[in-house]
Amino acid sequence: MAKSRNHEQWTSPPPFPQDEYVDSRIYSDQEIFEEEQEKIFKKAWIPVCHESELPEPYDFRTTTIAKEPVILTRAKDGKVRAFLNVCPHRGNMLERAPSGSFLDGSPSGNPRHITCMFHAWQFDMKGRCVYISRQEEGYQDRLKKQQMGLRELKCEVYFGGFVWVTLNDQIDMTVEEWSAGSLEVLKPSLDEEPLEVFHYHKAIIPCNYKLWHDTNCEFYHDFLHYHNRITGFNDAYFARKNTGFDNGHINVGSFEVQYDNYEGSHSREEISFPHLPPNHWYMIDMFPGVNFNLRGSSLRCDIMTPIGPNEVMIEFRGLGLKSDDAVTRRSRVDHHNSIWGPFGRNLHEDLLAVTGQGSAMNAHAERRQILHGRHENETIHDENGMRHFYEEWGRWMDRLPSNPDKPFVEPAAASSAAAG
Amino acid sequence: MSSADAVRDSIYRSCMYKDEMKWEKWLDLCDEDFQYSITAYSPEIRNDMIYLSGNREEMLGMMKMLPKHNTDHSPLKRHCSVYVVEFEADGSTATAVSSIVVYQTQLDGINSHVDAGESKVFLVGRYFDKFRVTDGVAKFIEREVKLDTRKLDKGSHYPI
Ligand code: FES
Ligand SMILES: [Fe+2]
Repeated sequence: MAKSRNHEQWTSPPPFPQDEYVDSRIYSDQEIFEEEQEKIFKKAWIPVCHESELPEPYDFRTTTIAKEPVILTRAKDGKVRAFLNVCPHRGNMLERAPSGSFLDGSPSGNPRHITCMFHAWQFDMKGRCVYISRQEEGYQDRLKKQQMGLRELKCEVYFGGFVWVTLNDQIDMTVEEWSAGSLEVLKPSLDEEPLEVFHYHKAIIPCNYKLWHDTNCEFYHDFLHYHNRITGFNDAYFARKNTGFDNGHINVGSFEVQYDNYEGSHSREEISFPHLPPNHWYMIDMFPGVNFNLRGSSLRCDIMTPIGPNEVMIEFRGLGLKSDDAVTRRSRVDHHNSIWGPFGRNLHEDLLAVTGQGSAMNAHAERRQILHGRHENETIHDENGMRHFYEEWGRWMDRLPSNPDKPFVEPAAASSAAAG
Repeated sequence: MSSADAVRDSIYRSCMYKDEMKWEKWLDLCDEDFQYSITAYSPEIRNDMIYLSGNREEMLGMMKMLPKHNTDHSPLKRHCSVYVVEFEADGSTATAVSSIVVYQTQLDGINSHVDAGESKVFLVGRYFDKFRVTDGVAKFIEREVKLDTRKLDKGSHYPI
């Protein structure tokens, strides 16, 4: 007979192997959070924006990765470069605006230069220091401009024009290698012609970033969304496959969404992305906190910036084709935002659910075991996507997700040890 | 009541009906060809954006679907000041600009034991409205809610 549980029963492991559940402390512990910043976010490739956000020479865009301020510039050669947004003199943040152009001079500097407003040092779009105020008077010949360049970061524009940056000089792979094949499913659709960002908004949510990533990785939660149940939940929907790739990335396979089943909603067929069958819907979730989501006519991209163990900033972008005429663009915007905008049908529901998870966990709470143990032949309601992510997380952190005080053990080794 | 007063009256009534979630009564203040949108300018992507849009029928349809959706039931209250009302030469079409601040009082959005009852600013913006004034009654033909706020956290299913 089903019954409720006492402390001992509640905290004892579920009837699953150790890789099919995680301990809620990985979502709430301060030490684990700090360690993730060092071991994961400072080491991986992170997409930070789209190249259409800095389209012209001398345009810039600012962001942060693992709390390091980062600035992207586009030089006259058209190339996008990334630097720490930090002045080499006394560590001021160089540029404070989210985006703009250096074509016009700032109050204390010249046109076409990045000027630190504090003591007016200036830099060019390639990060070279080109001006030190009263240089000879103060530094004589002891300090040269050549020694005071900005800290450049590895940067690539890849996959439909997304700008990827890593704080890790030692990284031994390109973004393509890092993606390990996970982007291939959408490359033809995104690389056929230039894209453009038409939507941006952000949310700061009191939950761990991994909980948002989990929600993007598992579709069992379509029970949360009336829209997805009514437009999905047929044989084709339940046949969609979740596929794991190296480095912790996953794909969620497609099917034809029945948009007409939701009152007031319409087919996206007429303005499908290139090479995408009508009304199809693919999703790519990349380690550690990135999501590309293509629904027929519009592409969504979520970028997660962890702020604390129980706080994440999620930046939401919507993209269409740069060649869109006004009517087409308007439809893409409408398709995107009626579901995924801040007033859309689904996004609000997703955000409520993870807020609920964040509220119900805290660092000192009685242990919660978060179950990832569904097996459905790796189809849409299987939880293999999340299991794949946590296997990778365990490796990078050298912690066992189901018991983070213990070092990581490969699932295969753990099950053979259990069998032995 | 002057025609300008009729415009102000419609704006304030629209706030009241939306505060009370009487969506049909709100839309009764709107003419058949009414268009609604929530917009914002993003300094991040340096673009104008449309966060939500719909005509009268579409807005009504969206509201009717709400009971099927999971939603944050924390009520929104609109504080509005009408700044200017201007009439076209024909005297029957008017535009108005108002300031709008929306407060959200937590109910079930986060952790109700701690947060329920707390009011916070949810968003800040302006209403840009257009009216058709006939026989002293001002009916909305357009409402653009232009937001300054772009960090919308959980967001909302409710029109502003
Ligand atoms: S801190 Fe930048 S010029 Fe001094
Ligand atoms: Fe969802």
